[in-house]
Amino acid sequence: MSFTLILFSSFIVILLLVLGWAARQPQKRRRLHADPRSLEQRGQCHTNYLPQIRQALAPADYEFVSKRASREVQRRVRRERRSVVLAYLAALRGDFQSLLRMARVIAVLSPQVVAVQEFERLRLTAQFAWRYELIRWKLLMGLAPMIQLDGLSNLVSGLSVRMEAALKELGERAAAAAELASSIDRRGLDVV
Amino acid sequence: MTQFQQMMWALNTVTGVFLLALLVVRKNYRMYPAFTAYIFVNVAVATSLFFIYRLWGFSSTASWRFAWAMQAVTVCARALAVAEVCRHFLSRYTGIWALAQRLLLACAGLVLLYSGLAVRHQWALALPTADRGLELSIATVIVMLFLFARYYDLRPERTDRALAIGFCLYSCFRVLNDTISDRYLYGYARIWSLLETLAFFASLSVWSWALRKSRTETASNEELLPVGVYQSIAPQINLRLRSLNDQLSKIWKPEVTRH
Repeated sequence: MSFTLILFSSFIVILLLVLGWAARQPQKRRRLHADPRSLEQRGQCHTNYLPQIRQALAPADYEFVSKRASREVQRRVRRERRSVVLAYLAALRGDFQSLLRMARVIAVLSPQVVAVQEFERLRLTAQFAWRYELIRWKLLMGLAPMIQLDGLSNLVSGLSVRMEAALKELGERAAAAAELASSIDRRGLDVV
Repeated sequence: MTQFQQMMWALNTVTGVFLLALLVVRKNYRMYPAFTAYIFVNVAVATSLFFIYRLWGFSSTASWRFAWAMQAVTVCARALAVAEVCRHFLSRYTGIWALAQRLLLACAGLVLLYSGLAVRHQWALALPTADRGLELSIATVIVMLFLFARYYDLRPERTDRALAIGFCLYSCFRVLNDTISDRYLYGYARIWSLLETLAFFASLSVWSWALRKSRTETASNEELLPVGVYQSIAPQINLRLRSLNDQLSKIWKPEVTRH
């Protein structure tokens, strides 16, 4: 077996694997809405539960349990506490992905797309996915400081607020454009 | 050529003619002019090669030169047909299409360069090398196209998907064929030639199935947003994402933030 044969064969195997993955239709297709106003309905709800999560994680609660309950109960509380944080982290990722999806929809519906911005988002998404997995494993092993999730959720909710404001503006502009188009149409002009 | 090879050749030509007829009857040639031209070129090349081989013999130098010249024409026609499929995939989305065009061209160029460098200047194999480079570029462009569609959650038409998959599989097979038959298994060239004919028959079948119905013209463009929307939102999103990643790295390395 020579170097060239190995090189080209591996390239082809990789291409076919990627093709198989990329050409596979997702089981549940997301509808790409042409109307930007429909995007406003995609609320980012999970970050709203941060106070409850913080309450559930408060050290005072845990100290109270450790003084009054048996070791078995303490273990169960710790286990449940961890699963709550993991679920919260997964939900945050869901919010993050939802926002990313919105960004992609905007890119798809834009007449001009800046390559640098798109590559930057791709890079950041990959970075986020990698770090998210690391943190998740850290949490699973009981190593990550949970209080720092604060910053994570603030960022997601901040992004959500800005996006919603921008999309509201976008909806208004789209409605204005539709109004303009229909008025031109009524005058019998050909809109191309 | 063996009898079976000749039979396969005839079968491929007949299937090609059938596909051409299908394109004309279903009026799909309007939607796919480059693909129709590619199939026509294929049928024409196969027919002319049949007569050339009968006239000059299968192993003569003149036949070999003619076959490679025809191969160059066929690969160019295939590249145009693939470009057409790419346009069908993405051209409705103006911004994404503009980005994809640059990216796919750059990708094809890089793969060609890679193929050229990988063989280390063996001029005796220049033709198979060029052919393999082009085929590898075509396969890579199609895979990139599917990746693009998946990343942006776009839904290409079934016909376009089938055409693209047919092109990609055939190009992949040709790359392997060129690599193995020209270098290591020269004595088995006939077997590989037969396998290539079979691979092309499989692609023809996939295309015929995809084009069995008329494809209706879809809307030329999606309802697009004003230019300013993307320009104002995209940088904001990226800025937020960058901050989010910084925050994640702080979670991963908490000792940096502790005092």
